[in-house]
Amino acid sequence: MSRRPWRWLIPLAALPVLALLAYGFRVDPRAIPSPLVGRPAPGFTLTAFDGTPLGLEAQRGRVVVLNFWASWCYPACYEEAPVLERSWRAYRDRGVLVVGVDIQDTVEAARKFMRDFGLSFPNAPDPTGKVSVDYGTYGVPETFFLDRRGRIRAKHVGALTDEVVRTHVERLLAEPAS
Amino acid sequence: MRPKFVVGGAVIAAALAYMIYAGVTQSAVYFVTPAELRAAAVAGKAYRLGGMVQPGSLRWEPRALDLSFTLGDGTATVPVRHKGTPPDLFGEGRGAVVEGTWSADGYFRASLILAKHSEEYKAPHGPSQAGYKELIRTLKGDGR
Amino acid sequence: MIPELGYGAAIVALGLALWGAVAAALGERTGRPALLLSAQHAAVGVFVLVTACFALLTYAFLTFDFSVRYVATNTNLGTPFYYRITGVWGALEGSIILWTWMLALYTLIVILRHRESARELYPWVLTVMLGVLAFFLLVITVAAPPFARLSPVPADGRGLNPLLEDTGMITHPVALYLGFTGLTVPFAFAMAALCTGRVGDAWITMTRRWTIVAWYFLSLGLLIGGWWSYHVLGWGGYWAWDPVENAAFMPWLTATAFLHSVMIQERRRMLKLWNLALVILTFGLTLFGTFLTRSGVIASVHAFTQGTIGAFFLSFLALVMLSALGLLAWRWEALSAQGALDSVVSRESVFLLNNVMLVAAAFTVFFGTVFPLLSEALRGVKVSVGAPFFNQVNVPLFLGLIFLMGVGPLIAWRRATVDNLRRNFLGPVLTGVAAATFFFALGVRSALAVLTLALTVFVAATIALDFARATRARARLGEPLLPAMGGLLRRHNRRYGGFVVHLGILIIAVGVTGSQAWSVQTETTLDRGQSAALAGYRVRFEDLTASEESNHFKVAGTFTVSDGRVLGVLRPAKKFYPQEQSPIAYVDYRLGLREDIYLVLGDFARDGSRATVKFQVNRLVSWIWIGGLVLTAGAGLAILPETKRTA
Repeated sequence: MSRRPWRWLIPLAALPVLALLAYGFRVDPRAIPSPLVGRPAPGFTLTAFDGTPLGLEAQRGRVVVLNFWASWCYPACYEEAPVLERSWRAYRDRGVLVVGVDIQDTVEAARKFMRDFGLSFPNAPDPTGKVSVDYGTYGVPETFFLDRRGRIRAKHVGALTDEVVRTHVERLLAEPAS
Repeated sequence: MRPKFVVGGAVIAAALAYMIYAGVTQSAVYFVTPAELRAAAVAGKAYRLGGMVQPGSLRWEPRALDLSFTLGDGTATVPVRHKGTPPDLFGEGRGAVVEGTWSADGYFRASLILAKHSEEYKAPHGPSQAGYKELIRTLKGDGR
Repeated sequence: MIPELGYGAAIVALGLALWGAVAAALGERTGRPALLLSAQHAAVGVFVLVTACFALLTYAFLTFDFSVRYVATNTNLGTPFYYRITGVWGALEGSIILWTWMLALYTLIVILRHRESARELYPWVLTVMLGVLAFFLLVITVAAPPFARLSPVPADGRGLNPLLEDTGMITHPVALYLGFTGLTVPFAFAMAALCTGRVGDAWITMTRRWTIVAWYFLSLGLLIGGWWSYHVLGWGGYWAWDPVENAAFMPWLTATAFLHSVMIQERRRMLKLWNLALVILTFGLTLFGTFLTRSGVIASVHAFTQGTIGAFFLSFLALVMLSALGLLAWRWEALSAQGALDSVVSRESVFLLNNVMLVAAAFTVFFGTVFPLLSEALRGVKVSVGAPFFNQVNVPLFLGLIFLMGVGPLIAWRRATVDNLRRNFLGPVLTGVAAATFFFALGVRSALAVLTLALTVFVAATIALDFARATRARARLGEPLLPAMGGLLRRHNRRYGGFVVHLGILIIAVGVTGSQAWSVQTETTLDRGQSAALAGYRVRFEDLTASEESNHFKVAGTFTVSDGRVLGVLRPAKKFYPQEQSPIAYVDYRLGLREDIYLVLGDFARDGSRATVKFQVNRLVSWIWIGGLVLTAGAGLAILPETKRTA
């Protein structure tokens, strides 16, 4: 009987299939391409929960993390709230602004949510829903990353992670101001 | 006996390969954006087109079951026509994916409108809640 | 407290499973029975602990413990009691627990049944079963922890996916998972055979009934899934070639191939290598299915949460496939075939052809499912193939399989003579031809439908012929007719169980053919009092009503169905769940042997004056469910313990 060394090719035949499946991980189904990416961010003026006006016009020259959330949205909004607060504390000294827009919510529930998570970055309700329509949000949470020139540069759907925020913000901070 | 089986196997393999090849070429559906479709639309080819329903473009005629709207991706727009009820998760300013073919008359004929939603991801529901209540009242007041 | 207990139990179970897997293997190598005994105890411990995990999670659901993330996302205060229990396996984390529990249960039964009867194979079987269990417990503790906390605790949960609030969704996953996990047993025996080098027939004989049981549950799961799709999703179909459906269908195809090819090994000592490869492939496909549905790599309507879980399953799949196929290569010499095929016209080659076709079908389904991935990797273009591809490629294969279903059981082993062929097939072939003529005369013009129906009649005739002959033989010995039939079924339960399963498949084939060829539908907008007509039926829109249910709000239309005289009232509705982005259609239907009347409510005017409705008359769909029942009966018959042959 011959030794038939080619028989060892049998297990190796599984490798291309496994490699193909592993390739599938490269494609991120969460990175929803938004038609707005690359365009100027729609402006808005809202009144924050603390009564101060909140708008984008005054923020030119700063990198902005614009987050749409709601108190009834969990686990995703629950998971990303601490991430947003951490990012705000880590990056505010470098000129990054984190803005929360609370949509389709009651004021009491939203205040409780902000208290529970100790959110200190500016948050505003969007009572008419106009801002979320302008940004074409499908739901919550969704987050837009704006560069210093006020253009939308990236959109993230679903809960944020520290990693996602760091990647986008560091990239936008590295760009020249004008 | 052996050659017969080898030949038989080869014939089966060839037939299978041909069926798969023919199947793929006939039923392949290409994923495109409005800009890509505008750049190279082939009439009769099956596409899956994704974009945002342009505000102000949606027309729904329940009698004739005619649905028409424009899908855009920020750089190009494509007019879409569909025969049938708009799906529940569908509206202006929202994303939509449609499957169908490009018509030589200059519009996209959608045979299917796909509504997709993932588990973790939620839609606004606050005000529409109030909407249900109002709907109950209307229907009850109107019913017998 | 409860969640921590559950988490702790899972960790201890993981430790026990790992220890048991190692101990059983060591026990075999060193020949120390104490180690094997210890592994056995570990397996029992794993079962007890996983049961505890399952019970604790159920308890958390029943008590609305929203501090548990999984509970909060899959139930809310409005969820009815019944669905709070089924919500336990309504999403990823819980369904993995259910899966693990079933696997632990199978392991326990294997221990009870085989610890004496399969001495040589048993230690390795235990190692493999516990190894697979350890993997799932690792998933539970690391990748998808069902007991993870949510903080701060929300006041109310999000609620179960409304599509899952259906009785079909309770039984569907249970049956499917019993099938998937059951296939681990033949795999474990196959691995044990390779490890010990006892690649003869022992493992096949011991796992035969296991395979039938797993196959049966898998079939049942697929059928219930079809029923769910038909009466819940509201598109009027039962099978869409969705990746999730394909994921369950592929192992079914290869398991079916295996069930047939073992008969050749038992009878002719052939195909040893092929059988082992089929078992490995089948088990690999069950893992692949889980990977596919849980990783989000391929988009599907049943999108599940993505996460690290995909990487876990892919790594395990790689480990299993590489080691199992490696073992196969290692034992190559021992597996070289002993028997040889004598003739092309023989039962062996018919079975072989059946296997080739089933595996080819599995391959085409696999190819179509991963095609988007393939085209993106190779050409950078996003292309997918839809239902037309699967139908076009699989229909010829399935027609061929139906034909073989008629030929296989009656053709002679080794070499069929012309006389044997004439004796067994002349009658059925003539019956089939007569049936084709009959259906054509009846006005059936679709070639595909005529061919399928004729083939079905041909196969049914072969079964009838065989059964009549065997009964007559017994009756000639003086037995009365009915007891003779009963005795036949009981005495040769495996053969006739198989025949009954074949009958079930035939009935399903008729249902599929009929529904594809003759179903009609229309979509129309009706004012109150207006009617729509289709296929001799009239549907009149009477009224639109709204109501508030425990956890949703419902708008229902009232439609009177008549075919001259009034047949009844149908109430299709739209259900609005607060936690959902879009309403859920609630289909209403009137099932019949010949046709179903099927209504889906579309758009409606807010004042109730107008409603758009999709109106379908679906032909012969009920045959699919009836075929499923027949198949169940056949599988039950085949599972019965075999009685000693006297005749």
